[in-house]
Amino acid sequence: MAEQLLQQILNWITLGSIYALIAVGFSLLFGVLNIIHFSHGDVALIAPFLALALVQTFAAALGAAATPGTMLLAVALAIALTGLLGILLDFLVIQRFRNAPAMMALVATVALGIVLRELIRHLFPNGSNPHAVPRLVQGSIDAFGVTVPLFNLVAIAVSVLCVAGLFVLLGNTRLGLHIKAVSQDRDAARLLSIAPGKIFRITFFIASAVGAVGGLFFAGYAGIVRFDFSIDVGLIGFSAAVVGGLGSMPGAIIGSLVIAGLDTLVQATVPNGAAYRLVFVFLLVIGVLVFRPAGLFGRTVVEKV
Amino acid sequence: MTDMTVPARATLGTASGLALVALTEVAGAAFLRQFLLVDDWRAVVGLLALFGGALVAMQRLPAIEAGIEQAFGANRRFAVLLGVAIVLAFPFVLQNSSYALHLLIIAQLYAVLALALNFQLGSANIPNFATGASYGIGAYASALLALHWDVSFWLALPASAVVATIFGFLLGIPSMRTRDSYLALVTIAFGVVVHQLLNNLEFTGGPNGLVGIPAPELFGHSFASPLVIFGHSLPPQANFYYLSALLVGVAILFAGRLHHSRIGLAWNALRADELAARCQGINTTWYKVLAFAVDAFLAGFAGTIYAFYVGFISPDNFTFLVSVTIMTMVIAGGMDNTLGVIVGAFLLTLLPEKLRAFSDYRILFFGITVIAFLMIRPQGIFPQRLRRYGG
Amino acid sequence: MDPAIILQGQGLTMRFGGLVAMAEVDFSLRKGEVLGIIGPNGAGKSTLLNIITGLYVPSSGEVRLSGELLNGQPAHRIVAKGIARTFQSSRLFADLSVLDNVIIGRHTHMKTGVFDAIFNRRKADAELDAAAEIAERLLKAVSRELHAQRHRPAGELPQADRRRLEIARALASEPKVLLLDEPSSGMDDADTDALMDDIRSVCAERPDLALMIIEHDMRLIASLPQRVLVLDYGQKLAEGTFEEVRLIPRVQEAYLGRKGAQHAQA
Repeated sequence: MAEQLLQQILNWITLGSIYALIAVGFSLLFGVLNIIHFSHGDVALIAPFLALALVQTFAAALGAAATPGTMLLAVALAIALTGLLGILLDFLVIQRFRNAPAMMALVATVALGIVLRELIRHLFPNGSNPHAVPRLVQGSIDAFGVTVPLFNLVAIAVSVLCVAGLFVLLGNTRLGLHIKAVSQDRDAARLLSIAPGKIFRITFFIASAVGAVGGLFFAGYAGIVRFDFSIDVGLIGFSAAVVGGLGSMPGAIIGSLVIAGLDTLVQATVPNGAAYRLVFVFLLVIGVLVFRPAGLFGRTVVEKV
Repeated sequence: MTDMTVPARATLGTASGLALVALTEVAGAAFLRQFLLVDDWRAVVGLLALFGGALVAMQRLPAIEAGIEQAFGANRRFAVLLGVAIVLAFPFVLQNSSYALHLLIIAQLYAVLALALNFQLGSANIPNFATGASYGIGAYASALLALHWDVSFWLALPASAVVATIFGFLLGIPSMRTRDSYLALVTIAFGVVVHQLLNNLEFTGGPNGLVGIPAPELFGHSFASPLVIFGHSLPPQANFYYLSALLVGVAILFAGRLHHSRIGLAWNALRADELAARCQGINTTWYKVLAFAVDAFLAGFAGTIYAFYVGFISPDNFTFLVSVTIMTMVIAGGMDNTLGVIVGAFLLTLLPEKLRAFSDYRILFFGITVIAFLMIRPQGIFPQRLRRYGG
Repeated sequence: MDPAIILQGQGLTMRFGGLVAMAEVDFSLRKGEVLGIIGPNGAGKSTLLNIITGLYVPSSGEVRLSGELLNGQPAHRIVAKGIARTFQSSRLFADLSVLDNVIIGRHTHMKTGVFDAIFNRRKADAELDAAAEIAERLLKAVSRELHAQRHRPAGELPQADRRRLEIARALASEPKVLLLDEPSSGMDDADTDALMDDIRSVCAERPDLALMIIEHDMRLIASLPQRVLVLDYGQKLAEGTFEEVRLIPRVQEAYLGRKGAQHAQA
């Protein structure tokens, strides 16, 4: 019985860590650019496809099956490319809505997400079907009567590292200072010769790259990936960020853990829970927003009258 | 931007005014007819180019648009009567093509959905990604009433509209405290919850949905049998064509009446500046909730007609993507402009059907269309027009 | 309570977390009176307005309109009771026509609901047309040029006209009390003179209307209000006529700093 509980707790923390990697990107983009980048989840889930494509390309080029080394290289490249993709999308579409009403930017990014998913479906060979995603880290250890897949441990560790890295970046570096300055007052930052454009690009890169890590782990965790997984993952990641309070990094993490917790709980206890998990998660989101409209740790923006 | 001063009293004589109205309406009807009947995709693209050209011409020469508006304004009754006549007579010129009628029915239902969303999105700038869910609730409520309790279509229609409206009110509750993007997320969440529940609950039939919804009957005439008027026999779809056209008429009426009223003004004020609206005495909470309720009411009606027309429904007819589609129609057609919204609905329903060669790219096409419109012409094909007053 | 007093505030305090924006402010406003509110930036002038109009709920204290307790009521209800305001940044409904802006000001005097709008067309139209007529009259009274532009989108107006439109919109609700938040902000001397004339004629046409004007422009303060209230750091420094108040050392200090005040007194 205790082993069951431990197993579920492990699932919870693993899932929470993965969601956090995506939620953090939503929060960062909102905090710095004041946009809800609705297609962030779709960008994050391009990474597994990129990695798969790269692995196949390397294997074809080397004429041999992929080795862990090439797989790692493919993963690293996929992360970097996804970061760049984030910048590209900003350049092509999102930046045109910098000063537009929030609703317009929101609808535009929803549409952008649709376009991204469809592009994957059309461009990736056999895009409509699910594809198997091998785990980079195989094997497991036994602890406290629970089988702990090494993959889960790595996912949690990497997630913690990434988030910690983000905190250090934002809090202790000059770049972080610039990012915070731009997020608070774009024009004032400009007067201090901080170029907002450059900061935006860096922010997009970081958010997309970290999201890519989350996307890769998610695909590995699930074992398969399909072009429309990003709808669920994106919505959950976005919900986690909103529940925690958009713009708040700690909030994004707590929101992710809360939602992952509910997700795991429902799957473990409710009969046929897997089908209903989204219902519970979204009812939670609605509930939180009704009582705390800006999220658990969000800043309620006081309008100057 | 065109000059917005009061247009001078109709400089066009009554005869030429009438002629202009008639010409515009007949030309529009002819265009629609051709669009429905052509098969070759090149002809479709050609027609589209013609349409686009007409729009560009109107933008370059605002005198044309002003002239047409004036003519319609001065000859309101004639325009309406002629329009109704054209709608009534339309099925007769469609060469008895049941496919064309089918397309019209779907287009008209989406026109109603787009008009419903327009109250919120166009008039009040309230994001609502749950219109598809209201549509679905209307459809399922009426289908369940018919299948389990033998309720007739004519009773199920208002009943399911009421159910959908209740859902709309529920949806409106979070809107009291949340705004903008947070509210959008709440509506998306509602939509997903509804879809998942419909997909998983037994009594809604699960993923297979509900089948065998009986066709409505009116005075002994079944809607599943051909419609015979003046000796001419029209395919059975014609029954639903007239029904959905009637609903579109009702929706247009609602839209116009609400727009040109204290309520429409309050919605517009809310959209422009919510704080200032409150300081004019507008109970913004109530008007937000009202927008949700009105949207759900009309969507519920449309859902019922859809259910009884197609005869079977499943949760996948009412997904998030459907809501996005409806939103696209409002944005592309023209926010807060009745004609624009209807044109948007027709265009975005008919186009993917006609470009069947590219049908697999339909969703991609939608996404790109929305983005393109938002970037190039955020106010839509037919942007909102300012109100006129006076006896 | 003195029946001539239409609006009264007692012990108004406003705390935002640890920040005290307003501390124990009293004021009273008589029918037909013009009260000026002055004070350096951040003194709490707009806070006072926001409390009166119901946008803020005061941490303690009371606001009464003809004896009726106002604070705690929602902003839209307070408007219906007879308080109207303008904003420092002229919050107009920019994409609606000038006329529509004023008609919306009539909102509290209209009754049409959803059912009437849809099913009782004649009644709804009549009400709207009547409101349009009143709106036109108001616009004409405020300025002939503004009336001539009544079908233009409000966002296209120049600054001085925007202010006039805002005042017309506020007057449309037939208020008992009109609150003006820095009406001359962004205007040059000529525009300010025109504005003062407009305000004077508004007062002349409505002898019972009470006005509260927040201002920085001392010319306006010197000539329009009968009484002036000085705020600083959320507290009431002084109250009286402008001539009396400007000589008080504490008031001079608030605006000019200690050294400047010493200079001014020298």
